[in-house]
This record gives sequence, C-alpha cells and structure tokens, in this order.
Amino acid sequence: MLNNQVANTVIDHALSLGADFAELFIERNQVNAVNSLSSEVQSVQSGIDFGIGIRMIYGNKVLYGYTNKNDEAELKKIASALAAKDLRDPTTSSTSFNFIEPMELHPVGLPLSQGSEVASKVAYLLKADAAARKASNLISQTRGICMQRQQAIELFNSEGLHTSDTRHYIRTSLTAIASDGSEQATGSRTEGGLQGWEIHEHIDASATGDEAARQALVNLSAQPCPSGRMPVVIGNGFGGVIFHEACGHLLETTSVAKKASVFHDQMGEMIANPAVSAVDDGTLTKEWGSINIDDEGMQTRKTQLIKDGRLTSFLVDRLGAQQTGFDRTGSGRRESYKYAPASRMRNTFIEAGNDSFEDMISSMERGIYASHMGGGSVQPGTGEFNFAVTEGYYVENGKIQHPVKAATLISTGPAVLREISMVGSDFALASGMCGSVSGAVPTSVGQATLKVDDILVGGNA
Amino acid sequence: MSAQPNDNQQLAERVLSKVQSEGASGDLIIDAGESLSLKARDGELEEYKVTSSQIFGLRVIKDGRVGTAYSEASDSDALESMVEQALINASFARVEEFEKISKSDDTLATDNALLCPTDAVSIDEKIQFSLDLERKLASMDKVKNVPYNGVQDVTGQRQVFTSNGLNAQSKSRTCLSFAYALVEEDDVNAMEGLGQAARTFPSLDVDALVKQVHLNTLSILHGKPVPSKHYDVIFNAETQAEVFHVFASMFSGKSAKDGVNPMRDKVGEAIADPRLTILDNPSLTDGFGYALFDAEGTATDKLALINQGNLASLIHNSATAAYFDTHSTGHASRGPKSTLGVGVHQLEILAGTDGDSSLKAGTYLELVNLTGLHSGANPLSGNFSFGASGYLCKDGIRGQAIRGITVAGNFFDMLNKIAAIGDAPVWDWEHSSLMPSIRFSDLAISG
Repeated sequence: MLNNQVANTVIDHALSLGADFAELFIERNQVNAVNSLSSEVQSVQSGIDFGIGIRMIYGNKVLYGYTNKNDEAELKKIASALAAKDLRDPTTSSTSFNFIEPMELHPVGLPLSQGSEVASKVAYLLKADAAARKASNLISQTRGICMQRQQAIELFNSEGLHTSDTRHYIRTSLTAIASDGSEQATGSRTEGGLQGWEIHEHIDASATGDEAARQALVNLSAQPCPSGRMPVVIGNGFGGVIFHEACGHLLETTSVAKKASVFHDQMGEMIANPAVSAVDDGTLTKEWGSINIDDEGMQTRKTQLIKDGRLTSFLVDRLGAQQTGFDRTGSGRRESYKYAPASRMRNTFIEAGNDSFEDMISSMERGIYASHMGGGSVQPGTGEFNFAVTEGYYVENGKIQHPVKAATLISTGPAVLREISMVGSDFALASGMCGSVSGAVPTSVGQATLKVDDILVGGNA
Repeated sequence: MSAQPNDNQQLAERVLSKVQSEGASGDLIIDAGESLSLKARDGELEEYKVTSSQIFGLRVIKDGRVGTAYSEASDSDALESMVEQALINASFARVEEFEKISKSDDTLATDNALLCPTDAVSIDEKIQFSLDLERKLASMDKVKNVPYNGVQDVTGQRQVFTSNGLNAQSKSRTCLSFAYALVEEDDVNAMEGLGQAARTFPSLDVDALVKQVHLNTLSILHGKPVPSKHYDVIFNAETQAEVFHVFASMFSGKSAKDGVNPMRDKVGEAIADPRLTILDNPSLTDGFGYALFDAEGTATDKLALINQGNLASLIHNSATAAYFDTHSTGHASRGPKSTLGVGVHQLEILAGTDGDSSLKAGTYLELVNLTGLHSGANPLSGNFSFGASGYLCKDGIRGQAIRGITVAGNFFDMLNKIAAIGDAPVWDWEHSSLMPSIRFSDLAISG
C-alpha cells in the first residue's frame, strides 16, 4: 500500500530526528454492513477507511500521529511536527527493509474484496427473522446485522521489519424483542469469526432466530432478581467475559507498567484458585480474536497466563517489554491507524475442568445461574468490575427456580479468581469487541460453565 | 484541516452532481478534525499525539431507496467509487416512503468566535500543563500514582451539503484535561478520576482539577457496602446525567417508528412526576452540545420532551416526522459512516422548588460513581442494575463512604418516584446537560 522507497525515506527521516524507534502502520479497511428490521432490509452500508499512523519512540515516550494521505512530504511533515520538542542527534543509522511474509493461519473462502454477497446475507437475516417470529406471536420486532470487514495492514519499522497481512472479519447478530403489551424484553444471538462470508455454511439462520426468540421470551417472564452476596454459576462461552474483565485487562502491560494493575508485582505467585488455568491465544483457526501477526508485526502465539492458579505471563507489547523487561507476546493491537498499539487480549479463556453442571447447581442453597452474560467493565487500578446478566435464573435448594431480570455481578478481579471453585467441561468461545486505550478490537472470551462461591449480585427484588 | 471549506464545497458539488446525474438525490457530510493530545508519566511526557483527519459520508435516495457509503480518501477515484457504492447499496434497500433529502437551499454557519475561539497558548505551555497535572496529583497525600491523565485540544468541523443546495457548516473547539489518581493506604486502594473542559485552554485549571480528584479519591478510599435494602438516592451531576442519557432513547421517534420504543403511544400522557419538566435545548451556548442545525441541515430549536410530567414530544428527523405526520424537531443524527437516526442535543431539566433543606432532609445515599452503564441498562424495559459508590448522608452531611454496592430499578418507574427536585441546575459538560439534583425514592441497593 505504501511505496518501499517512501517508507524508507520517512523512517530514515524519523531516525534523523533522534528517535530510538520509528514505525509506519498503513491500513486500508473495507466495510460492508447489511441491516434488517421488520422483516425487511433496512439498510446496506459500505465504505473505505485509509490512513497511515506514525509512531516514534524516544526512551519511554511515544509520539504518534496519523494522516489520510500517503505522500512522502505529508508523512515527513508529521514526523517533524511530532519530534519538534525532542530533537536530538541520531542514535540509529538508516534502515533497509527485510520483507517477512506472515504464516497464514486463517485462510479465507469468501473475502469481501471478491464481492459483498448482499443477497445471500439478506437471505440469512430474513430466515433468522422468520424463525424468531415463528417462535411466538409475542415476538414483536427483530433487528439483524451482518457486518463484513477486510482490514489490510502493512508495517515498516526502523529495525528493518516490513510485513503485511489481510484480516477478514465477519459477524452476524439477531436481536429479538418480545412484548406482552405492558413489558418488553430482548434476546440476541451473535456469531463471528476471522473469516469471510463462508461462515454462513456453518451457522444456522433458523437456530439463530430460535435462540434470540427463546432468550427474549425467557426475559419477558423473568422476575426481579434477589440481591446480596451469594454463589453464582456462570454459563459457558460469553460467560468468559468475567475473566476478560476481572483478570485479562489487569495482565496487560499497558496497566502493569504503570503499576496500575493489582497484579503488577505478582508474577509467579498464586493469584487464583488452583482450579483456574487461563490462556490468551491468537492462533486459534478462524476465531474472532485471532490474528496472524499483531499490529507491531510480530507473529501471534499462545500465551499461558495462569497455570493451576499461578500467574505465569503478562500480555506484552513492544513498549511494555521495554518498560517491564518481560518478553513480547505478540499482543500489540490497535483498532486502526488512529491509535498507537497497546498490549491487548486476543482469544482469552479459562481452560476446561471436570466438574458437572448438575453438581454446581445442586451445591447452591441460594444463588443465581447466569446462563448468558452481557458486557462489563473494570477499573484496572483496583480490579473492581461489573457484569450484566442477560439471562439468569434463581436457584434455591439446589434446583433452578425461575428466570430473573436486571441482575449485575460486581466484585474485584483478585477476589473472584479466588472464589472460582468448580470448572465444567463444556468449553466454548464467544465473540465480542473490547474497548481500551488503543480502541475497540475483536476479542473472543471463553470458558466452560463455572461456579463462583461468593459474589455480590445486584437486583431489584 | 486536510482541506479548506471552499475546497470541500467544490468536492461536494462534484459528488452531488454525479449523484443527480444518476437520477438520485443526496446529501454529503464532511467531518474533519485536528487534535493534540498529551499524557504524562513519572514527571515525563509519555505520549504526544497529533492528528488530522477528514471523512466523507454520502447518503443517496433513488426510487425511494436509501443507500449510504463513506470514504476517508478525497481523490476523484475514491469519491466516484463512494457514489457508485451508495447507489448499489440503495438498490438492495426497501422503499423508504418517508425519507427525503432536505428541500432547503439555506446557507448556515456557526459563529467561530463563540464556538471556536483561539488563544495564544503555545505547545510548550500545554506540555507544561500536562506535566504539572501529573506531578502535582502524584505528590498529593496517599497518591500511589496517576495512571491515567491527559490534556487535549480538539477542533472539529462538520459540513452538510445537499443536492438541493443546502450548505451548512459548524466548527467548534474543545480543550480537555483529565486525571485519575490511584490512592492507597493499609492495603486498601481506590481510583477515581475527573475531567474538565473549556473552549479555550487558559480556562482549564490544573490546581482545581488536582484538588478535586484527590479529594474525591481520598474520600471514597475506605468505603464499605451498606446493608441491602431500599434507599432514597440523589445522584451527583455526572451520574444523574449519565442515567438520563442511557435512557434518552425513550424520546426517540426513530425507535418509535421501528416499534421498539415503549413511549411510542404515550405522547400527551402522564409518565412522570408532575414536577418534572425536561427540555432538549440545543441553543444553550454554555454546553458542548450546542447545535445550530442537525444532520439534515434542519435548524434546531428548544423542545419540551416532558412537560409537568406529561410526555410532550418525541424527537424527530424529517423521515420519522413524516411517518408520524408531524414536523421535524431538528434532531436528525447521522455520522459519515451511519444511516439517518435521531439524537438529543442538550438535555435540560427545569429547576424545582426544593432547597437543600428539603432535598437532603433525613437519610439518603449520594451516588457519585456508576459502572456498567453500557451493559447494565435495558432502554426497552427501563430495567437497570449498575455498580455504584458514594456516601450515606443525613441532612445534607456526608457520613460513611460506600463502595461495592449496586443500585437497581426501573427508570420509567423512577420518573414517578421523585421525592424532590432541587432549585439549582448545574452543567455536566461531559453529557452537555443542565439539571438540578433530583431525589429518587425507594431504589434497591445491594451491598
């Protein structure tokens, strides 16, 4: 996307300004989104993003700028403007690039560049819509979206790295709304992957509609959730958001290097119940949070974060490695050229255990079964987090009683990791978007169904 | 900016001329921005970021079908491709009987002297402000570090052109500073943050920000949960504005048209305590949500949303207005990458009659921080459950600090559980809203 000679000249210019390290990140992002509403196509949107980000590092200081133009003069102008307050004699000589072709871990079948397949996407969404409406006449509305994105990136840096990659993202979602005349409730199902529209051969539109409708109808009949401290069994798949928020963010060197993570000085120590082993893995074939290379050009890998309760690794990007001394883990990620990279998660999950769902439920005298979780957030400095329960049930005397609504789980990362006492074997991953200092990036969360012995449940019963 | 307004006008004329030559009508949004952002760490500048961006967002209507496309490139090929793609996208869409391009051929422009004033503050002085902010806060009692802090100077410009000749442009500047302090004592820690915003840099006050962030964090440090039961609650200015904005879709004409707004058939009905009057007031120039025109180029005006407890109006763009056989209220929203929607500009709740003596009488919780607003609220049902922190108060005096609790309820019910409305509205710059304190009764607190 960027002429090698231009890249060479700009990188050399940045080095001549005294930068310890310089990097160009070029991105061309093609997007297509099909939206359905009221059993019709509501809109089709498309567009092209293009830009170049320039990062210069002086010691631990990061200078970053971006532009939509790709001419040499503009790029040199930005580099000069960024370095205006840091000019010093060059410490590194000029660069010659060595192109590295990344290993293709996620081959694509139907990329966006070969066609947007709008008719096929519309058919999928309308089939899902029909299935949801067929489930019950209480389903009053559905909303569907099929979003496809093709992100081409190219990187040059002052260490001679030149590499490129193309990422293919697809995500479909249906939300069903159930209404009984006085109350409304929602349910949804989302599928996503690092692949093209060939995903439609592996996902069932009717099952998507059925599941969205089922959840909406359950929530329509839900009762106010009891509140207070109690045990909670958290369902598999997106239930893994608990680990993502409670622990994953605290293991990013973005927080660790600033000592803004409660785990910053606990490498090698027991930070979780021995039942917990956790991984961040960018290599899983065609998974939503996977990559070939990170946004600093490093080959992705599997990183064991926690083993049998003991902290074994942080998530480390280039700057984090420089600041903490830990080796890079291929975790430098960013939403787009508008952001400098930061250490971020990929597919992050708690590994499966051997406990049975029945044993978990029957062990609770009074508690909640949170079968589906929504989003949440965490404050890295203190580890305080919150999650929304999107489908939950009250459990009493070891038996599931009735659905509950408007429940939130809150605790701190260190506390909840110690309270995970049982982990099941029904492991699953689920796709989501994770927002942080370098923007919103695709990540997967995952776990088997697990039990937290004590957590604060917020409800309005 | 990447291109000057006159350059953009010529580009817009070329794009819209191409649209018309294809038998369609259209409007083009051009958003452009420049920003400087700085972050400090351990007494040194940690990040220095300079950005310049521009994006074109086209909406076309052909044979009643709407298509959109965008481009960040401004060369002829890219813009021509954008037009072609928008037309292709339109061919797949359903016929939108009510969506039209504005007939206006007005020329509108905001006042740069008011919304985009300049000052003589140098980059060196901004860097010094950033360093001072981090250094001063880090030196305060019990502050372990200042992990998140920053200074920003952002100028944004929007231009809206239509194939009918509308040319509307607005430009505004926002200077921001923010900081979070991580405070620690006896193995207990807390992190709180705050920001301030102004139209000019000299209006930012580093000492005031440092003092307030430190006070807020220290005050909450040893907070504990309160017993689970129902309490009266007063949200502070920031959290109250957050809650009202989470549920602002209850006023959306677009959601009503789409069948997903429970207020759709309640215009004219009593839905709240009769003391409650809520306006959307885009003409208040003290707010950063000031708007002269909306995304369709329609001139904005003050609008009563809830008048003395009755739902007075929904907010409309031209399409939702036509659907409900009314007129646009000047609330069209559209980004370059999105389709036509609606959105509030600046919520204003009119002052009540309760002074502090009645507003804060007896025991209540003052909530100063809410978490999980994006995930813990259901705008359709009104149900919510948020993490919270604050203070147990009596007769206006803060007592025990509170952490690790949740507050839950139903927003629509809450509008009818108002115990008192304060007589002193205050601005929340982040949500650009002007509201007095409101005391809500009987909210479920879990601790």
